[in-house]
Amino acid sequence: MNEKYFTNTITEDGRLLLKKMEREGVESVWDRFQAQLPNCGYCEMGLSCRICVMGPCRIDPFGEGPQRGVCGADADIMVARNLGRMIAAGAASHSDHGRDLVEVLGKVAVNEAPGYQLRDVEKLTRVAAEFGIKADGKKPNQIAAELSDAMAEEYGTRKKELTLLKRAPAKRQEVWRKLGVAPRGIDRETSEMMHRTHMGVDNDWKSLLLHGIRNSLSDGWGGSMIATEVSDILFGTPKPGVTKVNAGVLKKDQVNILVHGHNPVVSEMLLHACQDPDLLKMAKDKGANGINLAGVCCTGNELLMRAGIPMAGNHLTTELVLATGAVDMMVVDYQCIMPSLGTVAACYHTKMVSTSDKARFPGMEHQEFHPENAAAKAQTLVKDAIANFDRRGEVFIPVESVECMGGFSVEAIVGALGGTPKPLIDAIAAGKIRGAVGIVGCNNPRIKQDYGHVTLTQRLIENDILVVDTGCASVATAKAGFKQSQALEKAGPGLKEVCGALGVPPVLHVGSCVDNVRILVLASALANSLGVDISDLPIAGAAPEWYSEKAATIGVYFVASGVYTVLGPMPPITGSMNIVKLLTEGLNDAVGATFAVEPDPEKAAVLIRKHIEGKRKKLGLPHAQV
Amino acid sequence: MKEVVVHPERCVGCMQCMAACAAAHSISKNLFLASLETPRPKARVHVGLGLYNEGFPNRCRHCDPAPCLLACLPGAISRNAGKNTVFIDPNRCINCASCAMACPFGVIRYHEDCTAPAGKTVAVKCDNCYERQLAGMIPACVEVCKSAALTFEERADAMKRKTDEVARTVSAGVAQIDLAAGFTLLNAIKRKQIELAR
Repeated sequence: MNEKYFTNTITEDGRLLLKKMEREGVESVWDRFQAQLPNCGYCEMGLSCRICVMGPCRIDPFGEGPQRGVCGADADIMVARNLGRMIAAGAASHSDHGRDLVEVLGKVAVNEAPGYQLRDVEKLTRVAAEFGIKADGKKPNQIAAELSDAMAEEYGTRKKELTLLKRAPAKRQEVWRKLGVAPRGIDRETSEMMHRTHMGVDNDWKSLLLHGIRNSLSDGWGGSMIATEVSDILFGTPKPGVTKVNAGVLKKDQVNILVHGHNPVVSEMLLHACQDPDLLKMAKDKGANGINLAGVCCTGNELLMRAGIPMAGNHLTTELVLATGAVDMMVVDYQCIMPSLGTVAACYHTKMVSTSDKARFPGMEHQEFHPENAAAKAQTLVKDAIANFDRRGEVFIPVESVECMGGFSVEAIVGALGGTPKPLIDAIAAGKIRGAVGIVGCNNPRIKQDYGHVTLTQRLIENDILVVDTGCASVATAKAGFKQSQALEKAGPGLKEVCGALGVPPVLHVGSCVDNVRILVLASALANSLGVDISDLPIAGAAPEWYSEKAATIGVYFVASGVYTVLGPMPPITGSMNIVKLLTEGLNDAVGATFAVEPDPEKAAVLIRKHIEGKRKKLGLPHAQV
Repeated sequence: MKEVVVHPERCVGCMQCMAACAAAHSISKNLFLASLETPRPKARVHVGLGLYNEGFPNRCRHCDPAPCLLACLPGAISRNAGKNTVFIDPNRCINCASCAMACPFGVIRYHEDCTAPAGKTVAVKCDNCYERQLAGMIPACVEVCKSAALTFEERADAMKRKTDEVARTVSAGVAQIDLAAGFTLLNAIKRKQIELAR
């Protein structure tokens, strides 16, 4: 079979829904991808520059046409500037998400956010202490007020370094200081990147890339880390729990509401409203058997992690789920929400609602959520969704859902290990577990949906490598059944034994894409217990299907934190072989880790296993030849 | 006499030739204003998609003998030997599609055009930018191509260069032509991705 719907995705629900969309003449992301081909080679290589209007400029990679932009920038400078801006955009996105949570925390502290509460006061106190805020018998609200102020300061801090950098192993902090890349403020580094890449500022490609590292760290150990910590404080630190995934989580006989985007601020209030007895009765009166809240993308992950809310799909499934005809309302916040969704929804009965003051979309009704009105707004939206229930046409729910265990915050992982990372370290030292890999990132129509994530994960766990994953990668492996108890059968004997004893699957869902910082915290905990740097650990990162600027930033902060990271798609850097060499070789001397690019997940698995066994050898642990 | 020569191995797929061609065949000759004109000008060169998603600028070969010319019953198609160009007269064209059926390269399209009577759909294809050439300019697609996938030169010069390139590939110790290391790397990755997606 080589029909489009078969080659575009490995998922059964995806194939069936794509087939339906094709039959019904509904355009999908894959159609638009095809229409864009061939992609512009200048843009793919990073050799086009739109920064100023002396240009736009492009550089001929074959050496005959122009070799410099109008300003005189050569290929190295052009590629570095473009990459720098990509990192800045990614850092800005996740860090601004963090800022929104800090604002909610501040409002909760002064009782201006009805419906929200401080769910994890222990964590509030613990994080506040890291910011130098003493509990001293203060009420939680007072601590929250002080912490929210202190965190807001981090965005424009006048201190030398971000507070949370000290979570990293001391050796790692030294690496950053020596290189001069310890971030000084979350917004400052993004802002400085925009300045440096303006015409006529930083024209040394190496120094631009160094600032790219600093900018990415300002997100990884700054804005993103704040986002995760504050979400835990407000909505609860995730604990392991079982739920269901794929399009089969939609229910034919219930009002289905899907949340999409990244920020849990809106979706948490919807969750409360969906449990409201009055609204449940209203649904019943309409002939529905209940209200089913489910997620897609990372807003879905936020709810899955904390409340066990089912997950309908990842990035490339977001259009497809609408074709079920079963989604009565989709509520979006921001990031990774394709502007096509309103058009797809218009082919069915789905009501689309945008909620963020900074994110509007064609074909969506805008209902702006703020901490002050969120609880009331959520009630209104659920009422609207119920009202839409009987407007449904034909409903097609293609598959049965798959069981999935989620909720592995660092606290939960350490808890499962008995309160200390030592059992994990012992298992790694004994070689039962060879190492750990964080698989992160998106879907990308360049790659058969989920093929990269699932293949790489399978190859790693069967070789006794523990996988922790986030974002769309985590949904991919959940759909493939890697997060149910039977998944232990897919793992190698050592990993199977350890995970079996702990009662966890071989692939741990650690959260949304902003929660990649949990992997940094976990890696730091392991490194600190061993008294080594993160770059000494037998660990790696991978982004087999990444597409977004946020993912680029995550990749850079992983590598800058000492984690060898394998990318699937090639970033737009091949216009400068100097930069390709620096990122894939030279960075090792600077930060003790590099990037690799390998689109074939089978080969990526070999690269990662080689890396892990190499690190084991250096640590004096039993190691194998790969 | 100079003519447009296509070098497929250098096409980076940016499709700028298409936009420049459409603008060159508009009333205003300006990309932005052209996009507002009625009828909307259309490209006569079309970037096709190769096996590995690489681009290829497909344009009229101005064949001699030209199958389109032989197939045109109303006599709308003629060949100007001096310009080495096959022209279509929009006033004589009867929109019968015979030329498109005869064309082995699929480069003849049908739409309204600013050179045709208002409201009349006619056969349209590359005219080697003869208007621009009269004004001392080179064809628009060549002018805009920065990777030298399209050149405007004497046929003999292009052949000599190609002959030398081929000769160099069989020189001792040379395995393959690596025009630009980064482009080769990017293509290797893309090729792998496409093979995996099949």
